[in-house]
Amino acid sequence: MLRESVTYVIARNETWTGAAATEPVEAGWATEAVFFVRALADPLADPEGRLPRIRAQISPDGMRWIDEGACAPMPASVDDLQALRVRHFGNWLRLKADLPDGARCTVLVTVHLK
Amino acid sequence: MVVQFNSGDITDMRASLLLADPRLSRFDPLPRIISFDDFDRGHCGWSALLGNYEGSLDTILPGYRDNTNPMLSTLSHWDAGSHGAFDGAYAMKVATKPKKDALSVAIKRLTFRKACPVRLEFYATCKPEATDLSLSDRDLKSIGFLFDLQVGDQTGPNGQRVMPHLRYLNARNGELQQKWQFKRTAPPVAEIGDSAETVSHFHLADEGWEDLTGGAQKMAYNEIATKVNWHYFRFDFDLETMTALRFQCNDRVFDLSGFDSIRFPAMKNLWCMLNICLFVETAADKRAFLYVDSVCLSGDF
Repeated sequence: MLRESVTYVIARNETWTGAAATEPVEAGWATEAVFFVRALADPLADPEGRLPRIRAQISPDGMRWIDEGACAPMPASVDDLQALRVRHFGNWLRLKADLPDGARCTVLVTVHLK
Repeated sequence: MVVQFNSGDITDMRASLLLADPRLSRFDPLPRIISFDDFDRGHCGWSALLGNYEGSLDTILPGYRDNTNPMLSTLSHWDAGSHGAFDGAYAMKVATKPKKDALSVAIKRLTFRKACPVRLEFYATCKPEATDLSLSDRDLKSIGFLFDLQVGDQTGPNGQRVMPHLRYLNARNGELQQKWQFKRTAPPVAEIGDSAETVSHFHLADEGWEDLTGGAQKMAYNEIATKVNWHYFRFDFDLETMTALRFQCNDRVFDLSGFDSIRFPAMKNLWCMLNICLFVETAADKRAFLYVDSVCLSGDF
């Protein structure tokens, strides 16, 4: 049977501030995941010029999360694209970013599984 | 030697084949199976319902902005592990976002080749996210389904887009409701963008639902938030007359004499449309899940 492959949009036109995360991805059937994070508008850094890194997280139940280890910078400008690759993730995946006060980024996040 | 069968033989043979096939024996399809979606085989053409837009995603109507992609799920629970599907490992999960009254819709987009009776059957269950160690049976607002249909392009000037809706209103504002509702009031149609090319309407708003006559029904919610039981749903609709023929959930067949669909004048680019939507709404600031084991759409042609 041909291998299953799918794209999910897990944050669509969402403006991230503070403790931000995508919706959980349940993907126990897949062996690899690639995330893309695209800025739909110019991100706003905090007054000290900081934007956080985006972290992949895994979970035993879709409710409690720990960092997986993969991470990437936040997109630097509109249409800038960042990617994270993850394997051996079990069943649950998401992306997380903790934006400092005053920072924000409007994102389109997709995950590509197979 | 040529063996000839009469129509009775063929009907009996077909019935025997269906009954002997474990995948189809639990369905009662009309003569032609249009699609059979067993989510152990993958996503089977189901995707997220996306609101119409033009120029920017900001133009999507608010009611459509929370839609998420349906995913393949083993109904994995923190306390008991994977529940699994009706058969096999995977069901399609439709999930809301964790905010009160959020809605999520999965869609399969087809067209029809004959305006005839069609039958939608599926096995499904639903549950709120088990974030609390409590029954949580009032935290899931509703599950439901709809067809989005339009006549063929040769129908003439009175052709319609027709959208039969049914939802099981489980709870609202902390009170169990446990009843079936339908919707026939057309929502306002909004212009999207400024090119006069795109319109949108949010037909799943909480307004306009009416109780189905005799539509009270209690289902098997089970006794904690992580136990589920699968239910059978069947809806028959005639694409020629654009009328509902039968609605069944488990052992109950409901009176459709007072039922009608949302109806619009036919739209310019939706001819012969045959879309199926399955949806779930949450009644609390936690996710609600609709799990679908399998879907069979059949037609009388």
